[in-house]
Amino acid sequence: MSNIDFLALGPEIAVTAAAVLLLMIEVARKPSARVWGWIAGIGIAAALGLSIAGWVLGRGTDANLYFSDMLALDGFSAFGGIVVFTLTGIGLIAGWGLVTSLRRRGAEFVALVLIAAAGMHLMAASANLIMLFIALEVASISFYVLAGITRNRAADEAALKYFLLGAFASAVFLYGIALVFAATGTLSMAGQESFLGETILLRPGVLLAGIALLIVGLGFKVSAAPFHVWAPDVYQGAPSGVTGFLAAGAKVGGFAALARVLTVPLDAYLDDWAPAVAVVAVASVVVGTLLAIAQDDIKRMLAYSSVAHAGFILLALTAGDAGVEAVWFYVSTYALQVVGAFAVVAAVSGPDTGASPLDSYAGLGKRSPMMAAGLGLMMIAMGGIPMTTGFVGKLGVFRAAIDAGYLWAVVTALVATVAGLFFYLRVIVRMYMDAPGGDAPALEVGRGPAWAVGITSAATIVLGIAPWPLLNMLRDALPF
Amino acid sequence: MDLTVTPGWYMALASVLFVIGGAGLLLRRNALVMFMSVELMLNAVNLTFVAAGRELNVLDGQISVFFVMVVAAAEVVVGLAIIVAVFRRRATASVDELAELKG
Repeated sequence: MSNIDFLALGPEIAVTAAAVLLLMIEVARKPSARVWGWIAGIGIAAALGLSIAGWVLGRGTDANLYFSDMLALDGFSAFGGIVVFTLTGIGLIAGWGLVTSLRRRGAEFVALVLIAAAGMHLMAASANLIMLFIALEVASISFYVLAGITRNRAADEAALKYFLLGAFASAVFLYGIALVFAATGTLSMAGQESFLGETILLRPGVLLAGIALLIVGLGFKVSAAPFHVWAPDVYQGAPSGVTGFLAAGAKVGGFAALARVLTVPLDAYLDDWAPAVAVVAVASVVVGTLLAIAQDDIKRMLAYSSVAHAGFILLALTAGDAGVEAVWFYVSTYALQVVGAFAVVAAVSGPDTGASPLDSYAGLGKRSPMMAAGLGLMMIAMGGIPMTTGFVGKLGVFRAAIDAGYLWAVVTALVATVAGLFFYLRVIVRMYMDAPGGDAPALEVGRGPAWAVGITSAATIVLGIAPWPLLNMLRDALPF
Repeated sequence: MDLTVTPGWYMALASVLFVIGGAGLLLRRNALVMFMSVELMLNAVNLTFVAAGRELNVLDGQISVFFVMVVAAAEVVVGLAIIVAVFRRRATASVDELAELKG
């Protein structure tokens, strides 16, 4: 029986081929940025199309592991592909100003974004822990370079901090893999699932240590407290044109990996890891909310808010398998909100600069009504107000955590949600109630950020009012 | 008295090396030394993989080491490039000097 199916690897092949082609054409012909855009666009569209094909063929079937159990083609990986490549497309459109400002180095930027997208999708599709490690590193190493792509002081600092803490997290994650391997004797997730389901380990110490290290390592990547220290500096220092992609990509890839690792191979040890996940979740929600209140730079505020959101998503994981749908809904809609919000940031402070003080948003409602409305909508959605995806997402994770018996965690998270409204609404007050400082002219908004904000706003409202199509779809997006 | 060095001892040594690497990363302030500590952590993991593979009599452990080494090499390329970029701009590789982004 042949278990080679290139559809499982199709999206990666499409984006990687586009990245290689782009770099080769760049060396040979020095084309204009428009050509880069076409190559990247076709690659991403092909990857998205292949992910949708994978969704149609792969969801709801059993035993769909390929390449010697290395890759899974199931609803989980296919939905992950749809989210990742949609995100990559919107992220590139929002940050196109950064690509053109980098001049000839813009080709490297676009190629790195494509390779990071391949890594992020592999994180959702890996069915082997070493494969997952390689996927994580493909995405992470691309992210380190993207964070420092403009080579100014702030970007350098962000890249170095991201790199050192990211490499540390990768080493911790890898040690977790090694210990789980030592305890189970296999690296294949399916093999571990059947081994741990059938065997009672008399001395599970090595396995439990491995599980803890896996949670810590991936907790770093999704910026859950207390492993969040890199996030604010990286968000603030990285050029605004790419911050949205970095932030959303790290969340989607990290939570896809975390959800699959915890619910497939380690499902039998749910009672051991779920309390730890609940503690990390509550710590993230509380720390993220409290520290976001004190920020006067919108990118740092969004970074701490992303720590809080990581906590909300982790809450759903305490339910194990039953929480995966809630994780997917929350992380996919939150990723769109983040990309939309950072598209506005890129339009206000320029796609190639790092810092974006809250003061520069005073009177944005007059300077650019469309951008102000977009950012306002994202703030409302992140705060969890009804009629937006943020509300539906929070409802889902709270219900999953209550069903799993973590009422205390949900109550804490609810209090934090109310407290969080303070800093989300403060941005809206700044934009509409305050007068612009000095004689601020009307803001010139490029087509890229305008499109990105438009698409993400439409998705946030439509899926917030009518979430059922996506919710029904997610019933098939479970790991094998 | 049994003086054989079993794979368990190698795994214990690896855990000690891993902790030394982690402590080095958290305590040292020079970006290059911190980076070396990360490499020490990765090599401790490699030792764990090989020892576990030997104990369990499967090849997965030894094969994983090659993948880890390749990934570590890629990480070195990007990491040293970032450290050099920082050093050229500030003439220091101490992370204490990198304090423009805070709050």
